[in-house]
Amino acid sequence: MVFNSLTFAVFFACVLAIHNLPLPWTTKKINLLIASYLFYAAWNPPFVILLWISTVVDWWAAKALVRAERPGVRRAWMLLSVVANLGMLGFFKYGQFLLENFTAFLHALGIAYQPPHYAIVLPVGISFYTFATMSYTLDVYLRRALPARNFLDYALFVTFFPHLVAGPIMRPTELVPQFEQPHRASAEQLCFGLALMTIGLFQKVVLADGFLAPIAERVYDADVQPGALDAWAATLAFGGQIFCDFAGYSTTAIGAAMCLGFAMPDNFRFPYAAIGFSDFWRRWHITLSSWLRDYLYIPLGGNRHGTARTYFNLFATMLLGGLWHGASWTFVVWGGLHGSYLAAERWLRERFAGYQPGPVALFALGLLTYVLVQLTWVFFRAKTFTKAAVVLRGMFGLNAAEKPILPGIELLMVAAIIGGLASAHWLMRTRTLESVLARTPTPLLTGGWMLLAFAIVIEQGAGNAFIYFQF
Amino acid sequence: MPSSISSSDIAITRPGFIRLTASDRPGVAQPVPVRDIPAKPWARMLIAAATLLMIAVAGWEWRMRALGLEAGDLDDGPSFWAEQRRRIDAGGVAIAILGDSRILFDTDLDRFAALTGVRPVQLAIAGSNGLPFLENLAAAPGFRGLAIVGIADRSYFRAGAGLGGPALERYRFESPAVRVSFLLHRSLSRVLAFLDDKYRLNTLVRQMDEGWRVGVLLPVPERLWKLGTTTDNRQTHLWWRVENDERVRTHQRATWPRAVPPVPAAGIASTVERTRAAVEKIRARGGEVVFVRPPSAPELRGFEEQTVPRALGWATLLARAAVRGVHFNDYPAMQGLELPEYSHLSRACATVFTDAYVRALAALTPRLALIAHAPPPLAPADCNPTQGSPANHGEAH
Repeated sequence: MVFNSLTFAVFFACVLAIHNLPLPWTTKKINLLIASYLFYAAWNPPFVILLWISTVVDWWAAKALVRAERPGVRRAWMLLSVVANLGMLGFFKYGQFLLENFTAFLHALGIAYQPPHYAIVLPVGISFYTFATMSYTLDVYLRRALPARNFLDYALFVTFFPHLVAGPIMRPTELVPQFEQPHRASAEQLCFGLALMTIGLFQKVVLADGFLAPIAERVYDADVQPGALDAWAATLAFGGQIFCDFAGYSTTAIGAAMCLGFAMPDNFRFPYAAIGFSDFWRRWHITLSSWLRDYLYIPLGGNRHGTARTYFNLFATMLLGGLWHGASWTFVVWGGLHGSYLAAERWLRERFAGYQPGPVALFALGLLTYVLVQLTWVFFRAKTFTKAAVVLRGMFGLNAAEKPILPGIELLMVAAIIGGLASAHWLMRTRTLESVLARTPTPLLTGGWMLLAFAIVIEQGAGNAFIYFQF
Repeated sequence: MPSSISSSDIAITRPGFIRLTASDRPGVAQPVPVRDIPAKPWARMLIAAATLLMIAVAGWEWRMRALGLEAGDLDDGPSFWAEQRRRIDAGGVAIAILGDSRILFDTDLDRFAALTGVRPVQLAIAGSNGLPFLENLAAAPGFRGLAIVGIADRSYFRAGAGLGGPALERYRFESPAVRVSFLLHRSLSRVLAFLDDKYRLNTLVRQMDEGWRVGVLLPVPERLWKLGTTTDNRQTHLWWRVENDERVRTHQRATWPRAVPPVPAAGIASTVERTRAAVEKIRARGGEVVFVRPPSAPELRGFEEQTVPRALGWATLLARAAVRGVHFNDYPAMQGLELPEYSHLSRACATVFTDAYVRALAALTPRLALIAHAPPPLAPADCNPTQGSPANHGEAH
């Protein structure tokens, strides 16, 4: 189920009530585990089996890893975990994509091949929970952590519903220790958790789904030739939409976990205030970028094997990171662009090592980063390269048959929401949300909280799925 | 007030961050996260915010009722349609109605039941094309009844399912979570008037734009304001304000497209062929299909005729698919009915039209018969305009 649904409202109220009953801690954990399976099964019950497979394989692989003495045996158990998880991911997420590309390759060779039709349904959140369980065995393999002491704590780490389907991608060392000791939210934690959920749902229901998504759809999903104004407005709207959608999910998840007494890590840190691309990736989808760094970039060699190898590792990591987002070459290009940006930034930092930018230069570099990031969203949002080319041509005023597409009110919405969002990120770039809330007068905060909740209620969200569910 | 570990004693190793994240700790096991809680009276704030929220929602509800929204007007979304469609699979459905918004708005299910003793399953969808739904019904092994297909020529002879596509998808797969949300929403809609898709916050903001940017042409469904109300069994009628509010009526009238390029002959031929195939499938199981062309006002009718001439569309369809049909132009009892926004009948006239087309169909096919104690026929003179909404509405703006 999605956070922005009436089903979840009822579900969460029940979970909160049961979790606060005077029951033994083990019983509470079992309740949370059952609730998490219900949360997942509410989409498509049979896919719970995949969740079980991922859970059980990694549990036994990690146990065997600890017992194994020889490096070869340890590596074999680690590979079993990786192959099982990536195998599931490959089949369900990339099976159709691989088949289509294989067919296209054969056609290019002049071989007429018509593959059988497979209707493969992508299980929601498979990219997230496979990465979470892989981090468990990989941490044990890399001797960064010990396995969980009991299966219940581990299974709950994999399945815990706030992070299950769209992150933040949790590491076992972040969550399992919290399950080992009884946790119950204090009144402050419960109330602040609800406040975080209100902020997250406002971002998703009102800003992303209500105001911004239709603007991007009007340009990206229709057969139109946008001019510069429409192409930029739609792309900026999508940049805002995907942030509000995904950061909204993460904030809601963090709030939901806090209501139950658990802490989850930040996943976003005002990314549109980034200065440079390495800074951007320390602020955007932090739990994915750090996962890719720890389990892909560093094992590939990171920056330890010379300049050329470093650039290769950087680029390969970002290409695969792009592919993680979706089975399409447009996502690969998106990742490739970010890889290129990171490589260029690295080269510039080496070339101008002593350069210390002043405030104006910092702002200009921040603006440049923002604009270049927005350009990459074109490939992320467009379903085909043809569409991406049409939008990019539009952004540079090269579409000859352009017609006005977006109504005036939507141009105003983009200016107000995206302008407000970017300004807020810039003002908050060296702060946390909590530090700002602590300094805000209580009546203002209360009124603001009510207004956000009121906007959610009267927007009457249609229960749209979060964008990252498809990944 | 730390949730897990206080951040106050964490060394700031990278300028710009006062709380470390995984991005600051490469290649190590990540510790239990830190979450601070700002020092505020959160419990009192929650109570105050919740109280203010309830007051604001109550005010909003009052305002929406003043604008003419009614509790009990249900969201006619894909789940509602899928629920009705599943009644076919359950078996025993004698009559199903398919098509677009005209047959949806213009059919009074109560009148239908009073005349025939049978309450049809309403499967027509606004903004859709009836053909994919007829094909869907043809593929339903349990259906052996009568399918009444409503046709607005421009809709039926176009490609695709139009706005009805999501309903078919929802019927094919509806997750438990979506189903439960639908049932909860429907329960809330029975008591809260403001739950209306056309009165969402972003929609109201968008409606402030009265053509500010020259040359922009939005799709018809987005330009349309609230058009109808839906109650149980998907009984749908024109919204009372469209009938009674000049401003709303004028806006809706202006929304309907006028000149639309003619449907190519190949498109008509393809539609006719697909219809014939679907009809044959239903007949092979013992079912039957009839067609109904509900009225449209002369202000639209002329343009519709240019897009799909009756001789090429309607007449060809009946001839090639070997089916019978009722065209409003052919029946005096269907003339002079009130079409407030040119495309759909007023609530009272929908009852008159239903009476007329059911009687006409009963004369065409033995699959539909009037019961012995059927009420006497209605005439256009019985089509009295409604006097405002059933509720006591103040002045709406």
